[in-house]
Amino acid sequence: MIEVSDLWKAFGDNQVLKGLDLRIERGTTCVVLGASGSGKTVLLKHVVGLLKPDRGRVVVDGVEISSLEGKALTDARRSFGMVFQGSALFDSMTVFENVAFPLREKQRGIPSDELRARVVEKLRVVDLGEEVLELWPAQLSGGMKKRVALARALVAEPQVVLYDEPTTGLDPITTDYVDSMIVSTKERLGVTSMVISHDIASSFKVADRLAVLHDGRILAQGPPEEVRGSRDPYVQKFLALWFGKQ
Amino acid sequence: MGAIRRSLEDFGQMILFGAEALTWMVRPPYRLELVLAQMAAIGAGSSFIVAVTGLFAGMVLALQGHYAMRSFGAEGYVGGFVAVALVRELAPVFTALVVTGRSGSAISTEIGTMRVTEQIDAMETMAVNPVQYLAVPRMLAATLMFPALTMLFSTVGYLGGYVIGVDVQQIPPGPFLDHTRSMVDVHDIMHGLLKALIFGAVISIIACYRGYSAAGGAKGVGEGTTRAVVTSSIAILILDYVVTFVSLSGD
Repeated sequence: MIEVSDLWKAFGDNQVLKGLDLRIERGTTCVVLGASGSGKTVLLKHVVGLLKPDRGRVVVDGVEISSLEGKALTDARRSFGMVFQGSALFDSMTVFENVAFPLREKQRGIPSDELRARVVEKLRVVDLGEEVLELWPAQLSGGMKKRVALARALVAEPQVVLYDEPTTGLDPITTDYVDSMIVSTKERLGVTSMVISHDIASSFKVADRLAVLHDGRILAQGPPEEVRGSRDPYVQKFLALWFGKQ
Repeated sequence: MGAIRRSLEDFGQMILFGAEALTWMVRPPYRLELVLAQMAAIGAGSSFIVAVTGLFAGMVLALQGHYAMRSFGAEGYVGGFVAVALVRELAPVFTALVVTGRSGSAISTEIGTMRVTEQIDAMETMAVNPVQYLAVPRMLAATLMFPALTMLFSTVGYLGGYVIGVDVQQIPPGPFLDHTRSMVDVHDIMHGLLKALIFGAVISIIACYRGYSAAGGAKGVGEGTTRAVVTSSIAILILDYVVTFVSLSGD
């Protein structure tokens, strides 16, 4: 379970988060929906301990991430997998080396045949075959990069998977594919997922719960249909941009 | 005042970064394969340009030495002059400047690109400390390879000086070699290698830090690389003076 309580964060004079509260139950997918600059990525980086809050706390599965430092934080991160907006594949490593990286670090000395088998297994989960193992990230399409990034996030079998704008910049077919991957990953592996997005259509497809973030605060959160019926003017206006088209 | 304060803060951050890297050097896991890869990139990869620079530095020293000393009949001292100048000053300083341009900029650009494309954040989320994974191997490799490259510079430079002095300027080889032996001792060689060791450590910290603290996309990476090369070059010249001053004071 992920619990974010009264989270505040400023960068210089720019107050990004203003007392944000969010709760994600274990084994569910919560999509944090918001416009660019609303503080979504800053929130995500607090959850994984890449940023420290000015005030408030982040607790993941009973561990207060926001108060950890050094080795304790490093150890706590072993329960996370994260898919970055730009995939963030290591461009000096092949696909195999990228996907194997978290596993090699978690289980140093893992036999090479077991390592290869687990990498191939996770690539199959995202519909990629062994022919991509020796390719470099620069040789992959945007959709393939996303899939390799997801395989890398899942290979060490995390309990929590974080997605930063997973469908940004993808074509509609690949977007639909990535949405399906997020849903199937939750169903097959039972992971807790947090998705940061401004893609309203995708959000309604993958979310068990939705949270609308604006100006550093969560304006509405709950099951997607409940959030759709929110009376908050900003939430209505934001969702109308999509539902108004339909 | 604001600019001075920012510069001091930046300098302090760089010192803290170096200190953090030092603490990670002695903590497992030890990544020997990454150190060896960096030794190949910094050491073997720079050997050609270092050798070429050394060759021409030694040759021009022999020309200048012969021109200056022939007026009072001291051509025989050219060998000693070339050797002392190379091992104490020119080899460590020129090697450091050349390797800064080649490898320091490459280190800063590579780490900076990883920073702005979130590869360093990704590494952190995989429970891997990026300072240990990226900076420590580069610092160890540079600290070990700078003295080796400096020795290469001195050796090739002296050979270049010998060819110009003995074969072109017709200085008899006996006095050329005798004065080299009498004017250069182990202390001079160690003095040069100590400088190289310090330059290697400092330059690698600067290059890694500038990459690690890059922000703002390709422009930020470019600015970080420029600052890495400029700061390193100035640091080399200042440290060269300081080490020489301390060393000569001790004598």
